[in-house]
Amino acid sequence: MRMPERIRPEPKQPVWRVNDDAEAMDEMYDRFMGRVGEAVKGEVKDTRGRGMLDEEVKWLALTHKSFDHGRRGFNDKLAFLGKRIVDVQTSLALLNMPSSPAALPASQDDVFQHAALEGLENVTAFSKNAILDKTRLAKVATAYGINRVVRWKPRKSDNLKSSGEDVVLAHTMYSIIGALAMQRGGEMAAKTARERILKPLGLR
Amino acid sequence: MTRDEIHDGICRRGVITLNISGEGKEDASRVEEKRRDDSYQPFTGNLNAPSHREALRSAKLSALHARLQLPIKLPLQTLARCLVDPSVDPRPGYNNEPLSILGQELLGYYTAEWLMTKYPRLPMPILFAAQYAYVGSSALSAMRAEWGVEAVAAPGPEVDPGLLQLKRQIPGNAMAEGEQMRIKHMPQARRVGSGRRNEEHNYRRGMSSRIVYDDQFGDLQTTLPVSTSDDTSPYPSAPISRPDETTPFFSQDTSSEHRPPPSDWYLPAQPTYEDPTATTLEAASATFVRALAGALYLHAGTPAAKHFHTEHVLSRHLPLHTLFNFAHPTRDLSRLCAREGFEPPVARLISETGRLSRTPVFVVGVFSGNDKLGEGAGASLNEGRVRAAAAALRAWYLYSPPAEEIMRPSEVEGKAGEGKKWKSQIVDIGEVIT
Repeated sequence: MRMPERIRPEPKQPVWRVNDDAEAMDEMYDRFMGRVGEAVKGEVKDTRGRGMLDEEVKWLALTHKSFDHGRRGFNDKLAFLGKRIVDVQTSLALLNMPSSPAALPASQDDVFQHAALEGLENVTAFSKNAILDKTRLAKVATAYGINRVVRWKPRKSDNLKSSGEDVVLAHTMYSIIGALAMQRGGEMAAKTARERILKPLGLR
Repeated sequence: MTRDEIHDGICRRGVITLNISGEGKEDASRVEEKRRDDSYQPFTGNLNAPSHREALRSAKLSALHARLQLPIKLPLQTLARCLVDPSVDPRPGYNNEPLSILGQELLGYYTAEWLMTKYPRLPMPILFAAQYAYVGSSALSAMRAEWGVEAVAAPGPEVDPGLLQLKRQIPGNAMAEGEQMRIKHMPQARRVGSGRRNEEHNYRRGMSSRIVYDDQFGDLQTTLPVSTSDDTSPYPSAPISRPDETTPFFSQDTSSEHRPPPSDWYLPAQPTYEDPTATTLEAASATFVRALAGALYLHAGTPAAKHFHTEHVLSRHLPLHTLFNFAHPTRDLSRLCAREGFEPPVARLISETGRLSRTPVFVVGVFSGNDKLGEGAGASLNEGRVRAAAAALRAWYLYSPPAEEIMRPSEVEGKAGEGKKWKSQIVDIGEVIT
């Protein structure tokens, strides 16, 4: 519901515009997915990033709830699923990372050793939050150009950082992973998370 | 003995004496064991919980393993480790914290994908609430009790390894002494680390920001470590020491080299082990169940973890329709119909009785054109109309696709999912915001 005429004065900040160009959005998806589409070469017309998701879902995954007050749909649920996937993949990647001597048990005798439990001590709340810190995720997102295509409404269009741009960018990255999971399955989503999000963050 | 333990998982040589005389008689069973194997020296050392060698001697532990029908690949020693909370022993390798983190994420993922594919239109707050109802600490704590896992009064190396070990504290919900506030609301009980500017309980936190900042239930994170104490300084390359510096990790040209960050930048500096913070029984129970899920994944793989989730989590029934609470259902329904392109909703009286009596009943239906969206009975015309609108909204949000169309993303993951063809799932645009 919207009033036909705006009565309140316009805020004293630059007019905020978002991308509405499908080509710019497709190019971002191509950059983000890279070559993960090769895995489903037989099933899709276009193995580039733009061919991975339906048109409407592509727009939806980039639409934050602040855009048009959520009237045109938003990507909360996709981001929720995407974050769950990224969390699992982060833990699994941490298991394979080399351990710091400080993190390992002091004397080997006390602790039960098993091949399956290798690298377990890397998984801590601290390491998880250090890796998935929103500032770092936002930097990766900016490198992919997601900040130019995400549809949102900042509190202050001249101070995006204080308007929470980092959170919105991290949210959007999660939602793209979630959209992949819903449209292409868990394997594709997990692979994208590992190669396109965690690898730039330093986890192999 | 040691090598058998380590490599064979459940050691066939160690005979487990069934303690028929009941609890609290550990000494008797240990004396009996000593006669059997005189070379065994119980390793007490500087342990706060029983040594993993004790795990093979515990009847409770073996019984738990059998009762839960855990796979043979999961050794008793790891099951024993799952029962030790970090509040007992914070040193790495002795507690279930890393297993619990992994297990929590796995359980959360499986639950989230099940909820989202089965109920694609569920609103975000309901999704958070349902997630908590399935894999939150209350549900897991109840599960622990249902499994018959008892908790110790106080932890120590002499207790039975089959008991849940934790250092207890007064729950945060309890009233603080001499105060009118609950303990968890007291100013010094601040949670640090999620990055939110104001974390007090009554500061406004929107639904969307919870996805990035908070845990999988939309609650403020309580498990994050407090600020490092004065005597530990982070590694020079730790992210918290230089928040503005970036590692150049992405460039257009994927073949170009980039300097990788130091191998252990993500680990905290040399940790100090002060008196660990105590925990509640509910939190420790949840940690145990999660750790068990994590341990199953590590030892027996994804099928075992998924089986655990299906048997124990998804077998619980949650009446989702009771989680809804609408403030203005008629307005919401009207906006929903406008958004979806349906005809505007009109409420019509279907039947009534007792209009002039003390207890009238009006059955009202909400129609979009000739289609009835929802029906509700109320004591007044208005109440019937509002209930009908709420029923219509519930019917919309609780839509579930046909069972043969539903596929969970994890079904096509890994080896088990290699041959399967993925069916695209419904992606909903979100709940109606008014």
